[in-house]
Amino acid sequence: MPNNDCEQALDQIFEYIDHELPDDELRHIGDHLKECPPCEAEHRINEKIKNLVGNCGDEVAPDELRSRVLATIKSARSES
Amino acid sequence: MNDTAMNDTQEMTFEVEALSYMDQLYAAALRMTRNGADAEDLVQETFAKAFAAQDKFTMGTNLKAWLYRIQTNAFINTYRKKQRQPKRSDADTIEDWQLSAAAEHTSTGLASAEDNALDQMGDGDIKQALADLPDDFRMAVYLSDVEGFAYKEIAEIMDTPVGTVMSRLHRGRKLLRENLREYGAERGFYDKRPVANKANTDSGEASDA
Repeated sequence: MPNNDCEQALDQIFEYIDHELPDDELRHIGDHLKECPPCEAEHRINEKIKNLVGNCGDEVAPDELRSRVLATIKSARSES
Repeated sequence: MNDTAMNDTQEMTFEVEALSYMDQLYAAALRMTRNGADAEDLVQETFAKAFAAQDKFTMGTNLKAWLYRIQTNAFINTYRKKQRQPKRSDADTIEDWQLSAAAEHTSTGLASAEDNALDQMGDGDIKQALADLPDDFRMAVYLSDVEGFAYKEIAEIMDTPVGTVMSRLHRGRKLLRENLREYGAERGFYDKRPVANKANTDSGEASDA
């Protein structure tokens, strides 16, 4: 059954994954995850999704866009 | 070095560094606008605004975050209003009851099936699940997960308090996870490898696989 430690770990699982907690809280939750398989399973799934999303910024700007941007900068500079 | 020469050097440095973020801004623009033509227009507008305002940028501070802030603003002010795709639900129309309850364990079997299904997802599945999120959730999740911005930086980029960023991340990620569960179920990712046999397969004891 979930207890207080579970509740804290699950409530702050995203802050834990994002390293947005003070060290002592990070350690507290980390210790709990080691001994609570259901919380660790939740942590693992959320972390996996974060890593999968992390690969979603892999597109390269088309050459045509690059030329457009360079032309904009050039004309801005000649005006100034 | 006289003043003009120094300004020219600074301008060149700014230009080189700003342009080095073009691929990243374009990928982000694709996630924001969800189509290529709007994404290109958005990046173009971002650079035009950035160069017009470059004397407001303090060299040595976070240029990437500054550019993201300009792009996020431009997206909200221009593109969100004229989305070519049918309007999707906004963040504030997502009620809490639509998201799974907080602070709850998933049953071990379900969690392991979900974990397993995620391993079978491709980039396309994840991008689609992201695209289905309301704009504010999608941007917060993207800025954190892809760009690795801290909550404080996301707050500045999205011009919103840190608490709102946290709430968008919580709700966005829960919704994203539910979207992914649905795709997984639709695609049969939950059926391919029965959970009950997983332990056996992993330990190499399954002989009939």
